[in-house]
Amino acid sequence: MAKLTLKELLVRLEADRRFMENIQALKVIPAAPGRFSPFPDWVHPNLRGVLEKRGIQRLYSHQVEAIELVRKGRNVVLITPTASGKTLCYNLPVLQRIIEEPETCALYLFPTKALAQDQMHEVQGLIGEMKSDIGTFTYDGDTPDDARQAIRKRGRVVITNPDMLHAGILPHHTKWQRLFTNIRYVVIDELHTYRGVFGSHLTNVIRRLVRICRFYGRDPLFICCSATVANPKEHAERLLERSVELIEKSGAPKAARTFILYNPPIVNRELGIRQSALTPARNLAAELIENDIQTIVFTTSRLNVEVLTKYLKDRFRSGPPRDDHFVTGYRGGYLPNLRRRIESGLRNREVMGVVSTNALELGIDIGNLEACIIMGYPGSIASTWQQAGRAGRRMGHSLVMLIARSNPMDQFLAENPDYFFSRSPEHCRVNPDNLLILLHHIKSAAFELPFERGERFGGEDLNELLDYLEQKGVLHRSQDRWHWSAESYPADEVSLRSINPQNVVVVDTTERANHRVIAEVDWDSAFTTVHDEAIYMVESQQYHVDKLDLERNAAYVRKVDVDYYTDAMTYTNVRVIDSFGEKLLAGLIVEHGEVQVVRKVVGYKKIKFYTSENLGYGDVALPEKDMHTTSYWFTIPRDLLDRLPFTQAEIIDGLAGLAYGLYHLSAMVLMADTRDIDRCIGDKSGQWFVRHGKGGRFITASPSESPSDGQADTRIDAFDPTIFIFDAYPGGIGFSDLLFDQHEGLLKGVCRLVGSCPCRYGCPSCVGPTLDVGPKAKEVTLAILNSILDEDRLLPTNSKGST
Amino acid sequence: MNVIKRLQRLTGEEAQAAKKEAPTEQLSELRRRVETIMARRPERRGPLDAPSGSAVSVPPRRGILCGEEQSNAYGNFFLSQRHHDGSHNHGGRSIREFRKSDMKMAALLARSPQLAEFGIADGLFLDVETTGLSGGTGTIAFLIGLGWFDGEGFVTGQIFARDFSEERAALAYLQQISSEKRFLVTFNGKAFDVNILAARFVMNRLSDTLSAIPHLDLLHPCRRLLGHRLENCRLMTIEEAVVGLRRNGDIPGSEIPERYFNWLRFRDEGLLTDVFEHNRLDVISMAALTFHLTKVLGPDPMAVRAHHRDLQAAARFMIERRHMPEARRILRDLITAGNRSVRRDARRALSLLEKRTNHWQEAIALWRAMLQEDPDDFFALEELAKWYEHRCRDIERAVSLVGDAVIRQACKSESESKSFSHRLRRLTKKMKRPV
Repeated sequence: MAKLTLKELLVRLEADRRFMENIQALKVIPAAPGRFSPFPDWVHPNLRGVLEKRGIQRLYSHQVEAIELVRKGRNVVLITPTASGKTLCYNLPVLQRIIEEPETCALYLFPTKALAQDQMHEVQGLIGEMKSDIGTFTYDGDTPDDARQAIRKRGRVVITNPDMLHAGILPHHTKWQRLFTNIRYVVIDELHTYRGVFGSHLTNVIRRLVRICRFYGRDPLFICCSATVANPKEHAERLLERSVELIEKSGAPKAARTFILYNPPIVNRELGIRQSALTPARNLAAELIENDIQTIVFTTSRLNVEVLTKYLKDRFRSGPPRDDHFVTGYRGGYLPNLRRRIESGLRNREVMGVVSTNALELGIDIGNLEACIIMGYPGSIASTWQQAGRAGRRMGHSLVMLIARSNPMDQFLAENPDYFFSRSPEHCRVNPDNLLILLHHIKSAAFELPFERGERFGGEDLNELLDYLEQKGVLHRSQDRWHWSAESYPADEVSLRSINPQNVVVVDTTERANHRVIAEVDWDSAFTTVHDEAIYMVESQQYHVDKLDLERNAAYVRKVDVDYYTDAMTYTNVRVIDSFGEKLLAGLIVEHGEVQVVRKVVGYKKIKFYTSENLGYGDVALPEKDMHTTSYWFTIPRDLLDRLPFTQAEIIDGLAGLAYGLYHLSAMVLMADTRDIDRCIGDKSGQWFVRHGKGGRFITASPSESPSDGQADTRIDAFDPTIFIFDAYPGGIGFSDLLFDQHEGLLKGVCRLVGSCPCRYGCPSCVGPTLDVGPKAKEVTLAILNSILDEDRLLPTNSKGST
Repeated sequence: MNVIKRLQRLTGEEAQAAKKEAPTEQLSELRRRVETIMARRPERRGPLDAPSGSAVSVPPRRGILCGEEQSNAYGNFFLSQRHHDGSHNHGGRSIREFRKSDMKMAALLARSPQLAEFGIADGLFLDVETTGLSGGTGTIAFLIGLGWFDGEGFVTGQIFARDFSEERAALAYLQQISSEKRFLVTFNGKAFDVNILAARFVMNRLSDTLSAIPHLDLLHPCRRLLGHRLENCRLMTIEEAVVGLRRNGDIPGSEIPERYFNWLRFRDEGLLTDVFEHNRLDVISMAALTFHLTKVLGPDPMAVRAHHRDLQAAARFMIERRHMPEARRILRDLITAGNRSVRRDARRALSLLEKRTNHWQEAIALWRAMLQEDPDDFFALEELAKWYEHRCRDIERAVSLVGDAVIRQACKSESESKSFSHRLRRLTKKMKRPV
């Protein structure tokens, strides 16, 4: 059979009614010509020659804009799409300066080691062609000990990651004296990955870096690149704490691209269950690859990479003999050699299909493919566009298909394609002055260089924090300087990427003499996933947790084969401590501020596979966790709910449904993992809380009181229902003031999400599974939303406080 | 709200805040612990046996560290300088002997030929006590122990930064002393002491005068020459084996940083006396060790009653560093002085050295000498047979040598006899071949 071109294939797909029924949006993004500018005069002929030899006769307009700004000594942040020549925007000014002043040094930061490797090869390639000898090295956990000294001595361009800068370079800055006395540029790529906890840490690492540079008499420029988010300039300025110029107009030509948003058909309307995203992904990928159309499939889990790769390999086994890597997987955990082989196979088209996690999303050079299938929304629109950017040759047409799964984020996008194609709604948020994070870095900074009276570091009162650390005995003041005075190495006490560096290891004790660690669970999720009697699953193998030993940080499990899984029941109690701002909107009191959260896992449900039947309950005795954090909340007036034609129990279910949808949409706007925030329904006074126990939802007073078979009185008249969405990190990460600002848009979003969901009574895509929220939840949620979003009431009546 | 209150609320330490001990009680408790250690040191009984153990608060002790405040352009610091007479004993030996270190050998040990032109009095012995072992810029060297030979005797100078603010003056003084000396002697100083000091110089914006001068780090030579018979290569283990020094109630190195931090809080000199003592002994031990090692390598190793096995290690060390004349000398001396087994091993090692350097006559003489002592010596027989076969091309002599050995069943093991029978078969075949 003759092979089809991508265009012919698209025509055929568009004629396929069964396929088209599931298409939520099909958008053809037209080709756009490039905008070019000549090389500026100051570019060294040698450097220019090398670029010209690579076919770069002139530069894109944004490249010239960037390098001219850097030349003028401005900090820049660049948001242009994948494959628009971003790396040149920093490599060119850096190499140019090194040619002019050979002592110049630059520090590059990438979020992953793989990206650092890739960039090292890129820079070394340029340098090699220039027949120059500019030491360019990666410096990270993989760097052998004997190479480290040479890098410190010879490195002009040192490529590392924030973790290594934090724990390996800054605390040893005297060994890097040469780098720091000559540093002129700091390059930070993938700036949008530094948000939430990681970003809050990064700002502090930058504060420390700047402080060390100042010690050696330097003040480097920052050149940053980011994916498209709603607030790139604000975010860069918050991270770097200096003014930054934004470059957002790409001059790179765009090839025509068809973008399809595909929502798999519903297979069970009652439960709102859709066909698995795997099925359409597999079918389309196979068809594309069969027609010699090079294709990449992104999945959201390592397991899915393996499953889909196996399907595709099986499919092509029967055809003509092909290379073993004709279709292949790609993910973290594959050995570097294999990964390099797959990358080059993609570039020279020996690999025609690759199934990958987001490991291939960031800048690794694999050339440009023709088609990209994104199996499940990757969690942010920025990531989606980065993945989509993998397909798109300079010439010709490319295809991107995003396949939605059943969760609320995916379904919201499937129903609201405009949201996706218009300006990005996603905000990067950081809170570098979170006291716990700030304090860690003040310790590390004091280790690096004593603090002097009058110095500034972060937005809190530094002197008080220094005095506090002196009282704790880790700092010692001598003549108005605070010196590190402890044996420990403070940078080792904190991980930049996780909330709590403490982990719980899961130990398989199935074989008596051969106990093995099969997984690690972070401290917080350990309480809900590996409590005593839980069923814990790794790669579809079930394990029964015999004992969670919090003292040894271990959970002991053994293999079982049962027909149920467990779902922990958590009681959450939120008490308002301080309100930072409030507004009255359509009768609703909307606020944000500081709260105390007490959480306790009190039991679990056994839920049968497939039918989701509830098979029973068990108790769990684990300590409460108490945390102060920041939250956004709003209180719905009691009289408004009284007017609705539902029972009190139904109203509570409806509130739970509203909180469910709101929680997921909030995570989406924040580009946060759903674990980064949490929700609770309670009373503003902190007296009453909605609990979900054996007999359904009810209102109860005390957080520690056990669910007494639904006998607690459900007295809605005693309470003003308040929905809290709070940061799951002590001290807060800065999410809540953004949610406070976006309150109205969020509620409207939930309304659209629930209103357009085709399920009958509620499903995991809108208000949560029916078995969880009750049969009326969807209806009640919509009724509540409609009454609070009533246009007449939406006029702001009063507002006060900060935003 | 106050930032500390907010912080305490986040960390949940509000409740515990009230329970803190009064500082004076902490000091008494500390002192009790220090005295338990000191009490293990018999010669130290006396003043420290004063009433202790009660929770009564005691004023910090002052004036018990010997030494005095010094000052220079960068400020003040404390210096404890002590002169040790030539007759001063360190373990089983006296300081006077340590002077006689062999500088030629010191140069070999340090891989630094300049050392041979210097005298031992040009050397600066250095050992630092730090606020931590992890390194990094947050670790300081609060006590810099120095030592040098002065006339018949030995001087130890311990530079002490009584506070962080005195570090700069202390380092400046170190610069001054080191500029008068021409080489450095340390124990693991390349990896630790000099590294830490290099960072401290940078932090205090002073030039690093230590990294550039020749440096004899005793740790690696100790491993090579003595490691084979010691359970570890810590300085204390070595000094006991070499000069028979036994320290009583020495403070474990791991406790030293905490002592300094407590000193900063309480200013009680009693917290530091044993730290100073520990450091002073370390410095003198390095002088003792330099003497011992250079003597083991030098022409008169018996002056330090060197073990024969240490000398064999010394010979290997010389061969590896391509100092063949010295290796020959050590092995020849071993042949003359050693017992039968030492003699055999030395001859064997020397013969291989001669063979490697194409001194065949010397090698043959050694093999013959070995056979004279033990006509069945497999090694010598085999080497001689190889010599006849490949060098002399005298196959008959080779056959008769090996044949005789096989006939009189000279071989002591299965593998030896197999090897010889094989060699014999091969040689007979070769003999029959027409020439």
